[in-house]
Amino acid sequence: MIRKFRLGKSYYEWGESAIAFFILLPTLSLVALFILWPLVQVFYLSLTNWSLVKGTKDFIGLDNFRFLSKDPNFLKSIRTTFMYSFIKIPIDLVLALGCAVLLDKAVPFRRFIRASYFAPVIVPIVASALIWIWFYDPGIGPFNTILKTLGLAPVNWLSDERTALLSIIIFAVWRGLGYDILLFLTGLQGISETYVEAARIDGANPRQIFFRIKLPLLSPIVYFVLLMGVINSFKVFTEISVMTPNGGPLYSTGVMVYYIYEAAFTRGRFGRAAAASVVLFAIVLALTLVQKKIAKKSVFSE
Amino acid sequence: MSKPHKHNWAAFTALVAGLVVMIFPFVWMILSAFKSKADVYAYPPKWIPSGLNWENFARAFVMVPFARWFLNSLLVSAAMTFLQVGSAIFAAYAFSKMRFPFKGAIYLVVISTMLLPQILTIIPMFLLIAKLGLVDSYGGLILPELFSGFTILLLQQYFMAIPDDLMHAARIDGCGPLGCLRHVVIPNSGAAIATASFFSFLGHWRSYLWPLIVVNSTKLRTLPIGLKYLITESSNDYQVMMAASVMAIMPVLIAFVFTEKRFIRSITLSGLKA
Amino acid sequence: MSRRLILASLLALVTLGFVSAADNRAAVRTPDGKIKLTLWFALAGANGDAFKAQVDGFNKSQDKVVVEPIFSGSYADTATKIVPALEAKAEPNVALMAAGPLYTGAYKNWAILDYINSDKDFNKDDIFPGMWEYSKFDGKICAVPYNISTPVLFYNKDILAAAGIDASKAPVTWADLYTMAKKAQADGNKNKSDDFWGFDMSDAPWLFKAMLSQNGNPVVETKEQTTTIPVYDRADAVEVATFWKKLADDKVMPQAQHANAEKRFLAGNLAFIVASSSRIGRWTTDAKFGLGAFTLPRFKKASIPLGGGGLVLFDKGKEANDASWLLIKYLMKVENQATFAMATGYVPVRKSSVNVPSVKAVSETPLYKIALAQLKDSWAYWHFNEMGTMDLLIGQALERLEKGKQQPAEAMTASVAELKAEMQ
Repeated sequence: MIRKFRLGKSYYEWGESAIAFFILLPTLSLVALFILWPLVQVFYLSLTNWSLVKGTKDFIGLDNFRFLSKDPNFLKSIRTTFMYSFIKIPIDLVLALGCAVLLDKAVPFRRFIRASYFAPVIVPIVASALIWIWFYDPGIGPFNTILKTLGLAPVNWLSDERTALLSIIIFAVWRGLGYDILLFLTGLQGISETYVEAARIDGANPRQIFFRIKLPLLSPIVYFVLLMGVINSFKVFTEISVMTPNGGPLYSTGVMVYYIYEAAFTRGRFGRAAAASVVLFAIVLALTLVQKKIAKKSVFSE
Repeated sequence: MSKPHKHNWAAFTALVAGLVVMIFPFVWMILSAFKSKADVYAYPPKWIPSGLNWENFARAFVMVPFARWFLNSLLVSAAMTFLQVGSAIFAAYAFSKMRFPFKGAIYLVVISTMLLPQILTIIPMFLLIAKLGLVDSYGGLILPELFSGFTILLLQQYFMAIPDDLMHAARIDGCGPLGCLRHVVIPNSGAAIATASFFSFLGHWRSYLWPLIVVNSTKLRTLPIGLKYLITESSNDYQVMMAASVMAIMPVLIAFVFTEKRFIRSITLSGLKA
Repeated sequence: MSRRLILASLLALVTLGFVSAADNRAAVRTPDGKIKLTLWFALAGANGDAFKAQVDGFNKSQDKVVVEPIFSGSYADTATKIVPALEAKAEPNVALMAAGPLYTGAYKNWAILDYINSDKDFNKDDIFPGMWEYSKFDGKICAVPYNISTPVLFYNKDILAAAGIDASKAPVTWADLYTMAKKAQADGNKNKSDDFWGFDMSDAPWLFKAMLSQNGNPVVETKEQTTTIPVYDRADAVEVATFWKKLADDKVMPQAQHANAEKRFLAGNLAFIVASSSRIGRWTTDAKFGLGAFTLPRFKKASIPLGGGGLVLFDKGKEANDASWLLIKYLMKVENQATFAMATGYVPVRKSSVNVPSVKAVSETPLYKIALAQLKDSWAYWHFNEMGTMDLLIGQALERLEKGKQQPAEAMTASVAELKAEMQ
């Protein structure tokens, strides 16, 4: 005899529910302890003038948010973060998809090539950023040497406000490309031959096969890469802080996470940092919801 | 695509062009690891070292406990991967195959944690770890980063696709919910579990901000943190930093080249989608 | 099945368990009963090695206390780590760091002051008074000066020779330097580098603050011990800012690339650089060219703001504090501190150091001589909460100036206004 109980309109089994909660316990306690609890604190702290140095932690209502709405650096950091996303993600998507399509073909040394494209992913960012800082060095760096050989004017990569963010993006694309190639590649290899054969028999050319058959079948992965791309681009921090200290030339690489870091650790304004975190959270949440809406309409499912 | 014997040379050429860009930094790193200090600061820049300066490696090795950091990274990442994937299997199973109250709401909370940048919660998290007396310990290094919404999502998607008929059959044979997990879901999910482990390991291997804050003593540092300190410590000695980077990166790169085929296969089989 | 259940319960235990009640009021002891101290230090490379040697010396000099020195990264890294550590009471016993008073006095920790005053052996009057100012918060001492440096004008002898500049004549004023740097840049580029410059500095706010005071404009003024008011928007400050802008406009100094300055200098692509005297030890071996140094040029008068850091003691209960003080006292012994200073390029902090033979010998070498001689014009302001923010804002104002985004008066006014808003 299975005992059931009712909650709202649904019936549940006592035994199954108990087991479910039991096996969820590790996950739920981790989430509660290390994510929800700190998160609740962040929301509360965003309403205080918490400063470790000054020792204050008084409730000040929405003052932090009022300050942020007028702080040019904060407003700039939102813009910079969006620019980073908008430039990086399309480049990343197109390149990764292109490389994956090529790697899906029969090419010699495929394994070696595939591994090489993935190699930057497994390198600690501090190490690879160091190499790239050297590349970008205006004097002793190889990039300007190459430009010079080509007869072009030298560029102050990381210290010119017009190129600093772009330089970071180039590095970030290099560093993350392999990850997305891997995802696309596995998607492509998972596409059943029968679809492709059927299309070929119907007289479709390779371009049609790619755009009409493969791409739609790949759309869940495209969506996934896009979603993770947006989420991750709002989290970018390490390369920014390593390659362009203090938010870069004229704060041109000061993304939101960097702003939060600076507010908390350089200026000691934890309340303000918490408020900026809440804004960041709201933006990411909104973007994800929008993406979900779009995805519902355009992602093909088998 | 099954054209085993006909190589596509056009694709090959394009890929090799990209390859040059992708591995150029590594070539530069290796070349620079052998440079002398004079080579590093030479103008115009020198591409090829003037000789094989092995002492760069020796210096990096003497400066810091490299083997220890490497081992730390390896052990911590492996332990975290094991615990993370282990707990995620249970959670993913509950979310995909069991009925219990508030499932939708709990799932939403668990998955939406993926949206949170770590910087958001790092200070409260640190205070918590301190209250638990875990600052500067393996426990403090591991616990806060154990949970990953991504890992659960990945496994849950895969478990969903396991036909309910299989589950019913097992139930008729007398399996409870956990029996089904053990006898049906896990044996059928090798590829998905391998994929989840791969991504989980990768995430922990590269973890930076949290270890930087929570670890103080030299012997507990992981590779990325150790490298960061080495870079600060060797200030202008790029050749030493490069030698250190080579030692830190090469073993993993080589291991990856030899195992990547298996990873790609299992990721393909796991039918990754969101 | 049961194995999985055990695993699940273990996970839950691991998550929820682990509560330990650490009483940090009792000193930590090693298995053999010695008091164990943790020491963070923010000194890299050769300078860090020289410091570690001192700590080793302490460990060997007695058998009651063992110190574990831990390199805590750059000044900024150390500050980033000390803040959460303090909040969580996970800080070390002692730290060698910059802006130490912000992490002691600002937290109402004056423990070190009692030791300084009550320990007759310490002889606090033997330490240069300006350095004590550098160790205060709200007018009270809460750190001990240790790795103190002065800004020095280094130059590349080879470039000056190639440009035909007489290096025996030091630039006295900034106008002199401007002329020399311009000539060095025009005629000294023997490598034909595209990236060749006359003058730059590694720490822009530091040099700017030196110039301010040289031009008779204080950086901040203090009211009633606890209120600090930034005043670098007055006419004399704008004059300095105008000179600063001219350096960038005339392309004698690269625009806002100070993070690259040391690398450029070492690569032989920069004629003059203002950098901390703590570079003397390192660069003497690193530089592949003749390394020279001049006294920092001036505007109306000579004036040298102190830089570097000091030792701070974190309050961990009397037993541990006593041990920490033993360590600090050892490090501050005339000979020990002088040995450290002479190995690195930091300046000796005790007046009686000049009588130490090793100091006498080294301080006659040209580079050290300059770093030491500058001490007579040195000064410091007390630490205050927004000190880090001020440097950040001054740096940003200078950047706007150098990139031509703002005029001098405009940049200074905006920067001071922003700082005042942060302080309100």
